[in-house]
Amino acid sequence: MAATRKAKNETFRDTTKKKDVREANIEAAKAVADAVRTSLGPRGMDKMVAAANGEVIITNDGATILNKMTVTHPAAKMLVELAKSQDVVAGDGTTSVVVICGALLKKAQELLERGIHPTVISDSFNTAANKACEILESIAIPVNLEDKESLIRAANTSLSSKVVSQHSSFMSPMAVDAVLRVMDPQHANLLDLRDIRVVCKVGGTIDDSELVAGCVFDQKAAKSAGGPTRVEKAKIGLIQFHVSPPKSDIENTVVISDYAQMDRVYKEERNYILGMVKKIKASGCNVLLIQKSILRDAVTDLSLHYLAKAKIMVVRDVEREDIEFISKTLGCLPIAHIDSMRPEKLATADLVEEVDCGKGKVVKVTGIAAQGRTATVLLRGSNKLVLEEAERSLHDALCVIRCLVQKRFLITGGASPEVEVGYQLSKWSKTLRGMEAYCVRAFAEALEVVPYTLAENAGLNPIQIVTELRNLHADGNGAYYGINVKKGSVTDMREEKVVQPLLVTSSALTLATECVRMILKIDDIVPVR
Amino acid sequence: MATLMAPNQGMLQEGAREEKGENARMASFVGAVAMADLVKSTLGPKGMDKILQSMGRGHEVTVTNDGATILKSVYVDNPAAKVLQDISKVQDDEVGDGTTSVVVLAGELLREAEQLVGQKVHPMTIIAGFREAEAVAKAELTAAAFSNAEHPEAFRNDLLNIARTTLSSKILTADKDHFAELAVDAITRLKGSGNLEAIHIIKKAGGALKDSFLDEGFILDKKIGVGQPKRITDAKVLIANTPMDTDKIKIYGARVRVDSMAKVGEIEAAEKNKMREKCQKIIDHGINCFINRQLIYNFPEEIFADAGVMSIEHADFDGIERLALVLGGEIASTFEHPGEVKLGSCKLIEETMIGEDKLIHFSGVALGEACTIVLRGASSHILEEADRSLHDALCVLGETVKEPRVLYGGGWPEMRMARAIEEAAKKTPGKKSLAMEAFARALRQLPTTIADNAGLDSADIVATLRAAHGADPGASRMGVDMIAGAAGDMRELGIYESFKVKQQVLLSATEAAEMILRVDDIIRCAPRQRSG
Repeated sequence: MAATRKAKNETFRDTTKKKDVREANIEAAKAVADAVRTSLGPRGMDKMVAAANGEVIITNDGATILNKMTVTHPAAKMLVELAKSQDVVAGDGTTSVVVICGALLKKAQELLERGIHPTVISDSFNTAANKACEILESIAIPVNLEDKESLIRAANTSLSSKVVSQHSSFMSPMAVDAVLRVMDPQHANLLDLRDIRVVCKVGGTIDDSELVAGCVFDQKAAKSAGGPTRVEKAKIGLIQFHVSPPKSDIENTVVISDYAQMDRVYKEERNYILGMVKKIKASGCNVLLIQKSILRDAVTDLSLHYLAKAKIMVVRDVEREDIEFISKTLGCLPIAHIDSMRPEKLATADLVEEVDCGKGKVVKVTGIAAQGRTATVLLRGSNKLVLEEAERSLHDALCVIRCLVQKRFLITGGASPEVEVGYQLSKWSKTLRGMEAYCVRAFAEALEVVPYTLAENAGLNPIQIVTELRNLHADGNGAYYGINVKKGSVTDMREEKVVQPLLVTSSALTLATECVRMILKIDDIVPVR
Repeated sequence: MATLMAPNQGMLQEGAREEKGENARMASFVGAVAMADLVKSTLGPKGMDKILQSMGRGHEVTVTNDGATILKSVYVDNPAAKVLQDISKVQDDEVGDGTTSVVVLAGELLREAEQLVGQKVHPMTIIAGFREAEAVAKAELTAAAFSNAEHPEAFRNDLLNIARTTLSSKILTADKDHFAELAVDAITRLKGSGNLEAIHIIKKAGGALKDSFLDEGFILDKKIGVGQPKRITDAKVLIANTPMDTDKIKIYGARVRVDSMAKVGEIEAAEKNKMREKCQKIIDHGINCFINRQLIYNFPEEIFADAGVMSIEHADFDGIERLALVLGGEIASTFEHPGEVKLGSCKLIEETMIGEDKLIHFSGVALGEACTIVLRGASSHILEEADRSLHDALCVLGETVKEPRVLYGGGWPEMRMARAIEEAAKKTPGKKSLAMEAFARALRQLPTTIADNAGLDSADIVATLRAAHGADPGASRMGVDMIAGAAGDMRELGIYESFKVKQQVLLSATEAAEMILRVDDIIRCAPRQRSG
């Protein structure tokens, strides 16, 4: 009752609540950004994430950390989403995007305190981000895909912050080779990373990893019945049917009424399988890849025995999702029925063999006659944690190269683009008027968080480094100066060969801005069903 | 309360409550006004967004600016608030936009009515006044509307302006020119049929909002079977909903008894043959593309691959219905009579890549107007909101194509209506005129709110607008200019609104206010007893 009396014809609206909500959102988002801040850059630290089920992950990858963190606050969730989309777009820079977002929010908070309307901040940030992208493009160096050297350098930069950095000289060329192998010259812009398969095997060191010219199966050859484990001049059949006793879809019962009948059932079963194996053999096939089945046994001990006798190597439990990849790699067609087991559906390879690989074994197919545009990387590592991190790092490196394929520009690394954009933006802001100018300048200042954090993580004096960088960039000819973490000083990044794709930085900026704008526009959290 | 309840004791079931007279009215007012205030801050181009946090499992988060979505989701216990929820839903169904405006206007009308009730004006008199005011406003609105339907060029411009105005209050505002073009292109493709079904919206995370694009034809988010042609020209498509894993006999408990393994093998072979026959029948339709709603298992997939037919499995319900519409085919589930099944057709089917995903693109489809809008954005929240915003814009444009009259925006129609009502009120004797004046005040609250949300001096701007409209009745084009933060010429700024939307807002809001005003008794039924 009292509340309604007060509300009568009241033009002044109580906005304290709205401010609180916005404040709380910004605080929550900033907290998330702070959590990953220390893992930025080559000297960034790793995080150990202990999942609820007791699993432990050690990683430096922003997207992974955030993904595993259980955040409940809605605004914090938006940052997690942000890292994910950066992962989708660029694959790398997931930490940077969150850190930039946090810094922008911090600046936005200051602007809000000065009474600037959130939509004004939001619009100005948008114009600033657009301008920033223009600036980035102006300092970008075009790259030719033939120039393997620069591709490797870009991959190097991405790997430098990971656990596997000491192996970067080895992993980067591998990543580049893998991408170049799957790239279709006719559709050079379309690159599907799913054409690159990464098989992880514990055992050995990362140095033992290799890019396999052919195909690798995680499974070992089924040789319980003593089948061959090495086949030269292989004819490979990818089958989707089962080499096992018949089973109809309709429920069936075999009624046995006397002893003699029992024998007959056994014999028939044997004959049935023998017939299948003969048909397989007749097609000339000597390596069988069998799709996993949940409905019935794909192979039985009996059929394995016959197959072994027929000198046919068997790899079983191939997942249905992998069929497309395998058929593309080997250049064969999947065979779904025994009657369509024809020679033209088989693939030819020089050698199929089972090799020891640490604790387990893998099956390697090499010298494939009609290999499609796919690549397989066999990753090795001394333990599961290292291996998983290596896989994530390799993914990042692959993404970096993919970015270069999509947008063929490189920019220098070591926070040089951020400083340059910050400098140019603040210069540009002086030509603007009103609140917009103020907001654009705040945007420019926020970008300094990247060099600052980078220096801080590297154990350098951040203030000294940032001011030195500012001076150099203000000179006008130092656009490529950045932080040399190894030397602990400021140097020209072109000489240090620290480069990264333009797409990573430009998408980090636009995505972070988009996210900030969304958070700023929220003035209420409404609980709903 | 207890004293109020006293006379009813024994009449109502235990647990049921009754609120009467002044109390009931007050409860309705409070509920409705609170509801209006909830969405008030989302109104206008500088309106704010809300986070909707689900209290259920998963604590899902939605970020939105769309009044209908907010109102639909909040849980209310107040009957009057429910009425407002409903009108916003109706507004959404009818015209698709103005869902916030209608609730805010209804709320303002009730706020004014509450004061009048306080001044001892009978609710019925208020209602009579409101009705008269509504009639005047409607006449004024009709007089103010104008149409460019005869000039396609100018009409397209109108549509663009309307789209921009609608989008300006949404998340898409930064790229509103881009999206206005997108929406208008999509609508003009429909050639006035207004069948929004033919516009397919696909959301793909990644990229920025301005990377969104319109594509003629249809895009299906599925994969083509292994070893099949990835590109088909002059496709003949059979769309089906049939089990392709196994033709199971679906009689519960059916089973066969055999006495040897060979017979099991025979049954299996027979089953396989049945499948083969089925596939052959499908292929005999003379098709080169087969799309099934259900799974297509390995075996049939291979048969199709051998026959050079492209097969696409697992196209979901929504997808397949749209596909049937767009390709001009029918969804078949038996294949006995090839002549009777209507096949779909299109010029070209091929794989395209959007972001990280491969999709299937149908171009040159039978339903020429069909098109697909691919939305890109940083996160799923942004995509969802972009989808809602674009949907609003498409709805409004669809309505405008049917009813080509347009109005200026930025509070211009409200100011005009308010002035006309005030003029009429001067000539109306009796207490009714008080209600009419109140109606005019409520209408002016809309531009006031828009200005307030932008942090502008609303009192000053609205006064300026009123003066401008008063000085030059019927010809002034002044409205709230958000960019300059002052009154401005709406035609020059290109701020247009659809006549249909405005009219619907006016009518629904008045009706809802009237309905709530009539209430003098709220009876709540006893909650159902739950055991345990």
